[in-house]
Amino acid sequence: MTIRRIFVRRFSHVTRLATGLSCAFTIALSISACSGAPEKIAAGGSGPVGLPPDSLMQLVALGDIAGGHPNTLTVQIKNPYEGSIAAADAGRQQFIDMNCAACHGYDGRGGMGPNLTDTYWRYGGSPASIYNSIYQGRPDGMPAWGRMIPRDDIWKLVTYIQSLGGSFPASLAESGRQGNLGDKDTTAGATLKGRQNDH
Amino acid sequence: MSAPLLFNPLRRMRTVLSLGILGGVAILAACATKDNKGISATSSDTTAPPGTTASTTTAGANMTGATAPTGPGWGIPAAADWTTQGRDYANTRYSPLATIDTTNAADLRIAWTFDDGVLHGQEGTPLVANNTMYIVTPFPDIAYALDLTKPGAPIKWVYRPNPAPIAIGKACCDVVNRGWQLADGKLIYNLLDGHTVAVDAATGKEVWRTQVYDVTQGVTMTMAPLIVKDKVLVGNSGGEMGVLGSLTALDLKTGRIVWQATSTGPDSLVKIGSDFKPFYKWMQGKDLGVTTWPAGAWKNGAGAVWGWITYDPDLNLIYAGTSNTGPWNADQRPGLNLWTSGVFARNPDSGMARWAFVFTPHNQWDYDGVNENILVNVPYKGQTRKVMVQFNRNGFAYMIDRATGEVLSAKPFGHENWASGIDSVTKMPIVVPEKETKVPGHWVRDICPADIGVKDEQPAAFSPQTGLFYVPVQNICMDYKGRKVSYIAGTPYWGADMTRHVGPGGNYGEFIAWNPVTGEKVWGIPEKFLVYSGVLVTGGDLAFYGTVDGWFRAVNARTGKVLWSQKLGSGIIGAPMTFIGPDGHQYVSVLAGVGGASMVTQAMPGFPARGGTLYTFELAPNIKSVDETPAAGMSTVSKKPGAKP
Repeated sequence: MTIRRIFVRRFSHVTRLATGLSCAFTIALSISACSGAPEKIAAGGSGPVGLPPDSLMQLVALGDIAGGHPNTLTVQIKNPYEGSIAAADAGRQQFIDMNCAACHGYDGRGGMGPNLTDTYWRYGGSPASIYNSIYQGRPDGMPAWGRMIPRDDIWKLVTYIQSLGGSFPASLAESGRQGNLGDKDTTAGATLKGRQNDH
Repeated sequence: MSAPLLFNPLRRMRTVLSLGILGGVAILAACATKDNKGISATSSDTTAPPGTTASTTTAGANMTGATAPTGPGWGIPAAADWTTQGRDYANTRYSPLATIDTTNAADLRIAWTFDDGVLHGQEGTPLVANNTMYIVTPFPDIAYALDLTKPGAPIKWVYRPNPAPIAIGKACCDVVNRGWQLADGKLIYNLLDGHTVAVDAATGKEVWRTQVYDVTQGVTMTMAPLIVKDKVLVGNSGGEMGVLGSLTALDLKTGRIVWQATSTGPDSLVKIGSDFKPFYKWMQGKDLGVTTWPAGAWKNGAGAVWGWITYDPDLNLIYAGTSNTGPWNADQRPGLNLWTSGVFARNPDSGMARWAFVFTPHNQWDYDGVNENILVNVPYKGQTRKVMVQFNRNGFAYMIDRATGEVLSAKPFGHENWASGIDSVTKMPIVVPEKETKVPGHWVRDICPADIGVKDEQPAAFSPQTGLFYVPVQNICMDYKGRKVSYIAGTPYWGADMTRHVGPGGNYGEFIAWNPVTGEKVWGIPEKFLVYSGVLVTGGDLAFYGTVDGWFRAVNARTGKVLWSQKLGSGIIGAPMTFIGPDGHQYVSVLAGVGGASMVTQAMPGFPARGGTLYTFELAPNIKSVDETPAAGMSTVSKKPGAKP
């Protein structure tokens, strides 16, 4: 696929996306209300809905919170596509098409960029943190993809990365931030052959 | 003619010559041997002091007389010093120092160490001039000057250039720096983020900083500059990022860009004009850097100039190789893909190309052409020919007439199975059909060598005393699958999936001696881990090299017998050097800190941790225990009641 074609496809998505943020702020208040919906909606072809809004994502702290307060957002914000096999497959294709694989490895185990299959996450391993790392980029190498990949596709990338087994589900986000997970397999059924905590 | 080294004035002379080197390359050239008889001719005076070769009267005399190759020997610093990465313009990495030799190498011990604090691959060679040692770390590219006149060589100055952290994510293979140079009173080197800097060698103050490339487009700089006359020659990295490879000349005084020559594209960009005379027909024609590609593909065709540059002052030509072709997936770029995976001879004043040779046309395996070109003069069919020898990634040792680009020989120097030989007329490799990688999505098994080659950038050495090359060799193969890839600026333009494995025999590394006249290995030392260090060879007939698991060895350069080994803290991927300290003793220094492309073997059990330590060795009897205990007053202070340890 040529880049030009990728652009056309992506940005037509973005246009559709703009009209489909019905769940918007409900997410912040009641995640569970939306968490089961996306796959059904995506399968129904009516466009992505239920994505956590930008305004909320911007509030997710990159570091710990001054004053020792717990970081509740990383725990509350779930991947709207969590557990969707279709979304993970779509994310895998993105992972190759957008050259993520060239840096992080076709198996996600690292190369120029860090390993995505272990539990060491410099910028956070919860779905919200991974989303933000993709969207915003990170200063020591990761480009910001927010202007190039539509938000629903970024969430699908997050779904694929979660399927690799090293990231934390939102429910374990605080535990991961505290460093309690060690080398624990945080995804049921994930195969973590040769996982290395080598950064 | 040569500058005779007299006994007592040695130290004074060393100082004078050092000042000369730091005062300008013109003076440096005046000190050099110009007689083409080899480096050891500089010490033919029988009153030569300890620390130089005393008795060799003609180059190669100990080998086979007139049939032995010799080093041309330009640009040699004072015997005591080491001021450019390859030590001389010919990149021989040969030092005439001979106090440490085959009889006493077993007495080498650590004299002092220095930790540079950066845990990335340490690929450079320390430099010494004016009783000061200079090293530069991997990113963030910090320069240190160490005062050799004081016990333990303390820091004289530190220069922190603060390069852009973005660069970390644009470098394919660790954030290395392959070397730095001293010229015109300045320390000159490249930053990973595409800048070249010049720092006052006496004070550490920045003299100039030039942005040569745009890191946001995936272009980085990792190579060692070479200073030729009034120009600083630098090249870019990014063979995996779809960059437009180029070599750039900066003005030594100001850092201003004087010329730039690309590795692909129209002749006007490549700097091909009426003087361009490639030896082989398939490289003759107009705009081949465009017409040997699908439309427009040359713009992201790589040919980065990230390796070593050498210089022949007599021919006034510089030699610099070009990297792999981008993307790796060759299916996306039918054609010969000139001038990637090759080498250019250029006029250093104008950048105009004189000749080119492409080692691996339509490169399907990532076999870069950037390895060092070592300049020697060899007997060939009854004549003496001025040649350059390159131990190419593709596994063949090429001996090329450096005036014309004619390939005189090309022989395998390690294990390869992708080519059955080199065509006798075109000098193109004869590719084994089942090792072609063209069809994407199809695994091709057991291609030898792997992408990193039978030898990578780690530089070999040449001794005019033995007439032999000393070469780090890799025994590594790959399974390879091409992948369709799209160009997105600033991200990898790679297009391959692969796994690597050890070659026949199960040893990843070997250290060999190579006779360029016969095109044969003379001896070899197999190593379990990769040999990814550069090489030093000395007038004491010692060859020094290191392994990726951290063993630093001294070897009899004639027999290959290992005379001494020392385990260092991390793997060795830099190149050792030797110098004479202010105390008149000979020292050997090497950086240890694994990284770079050697990390492709990091899954091996026992692979060492990262490090960043400079080790300096000298003969045990010379090592004094230095009285560095604190002054009495300080000692009293520390014993105050209640003071914490």
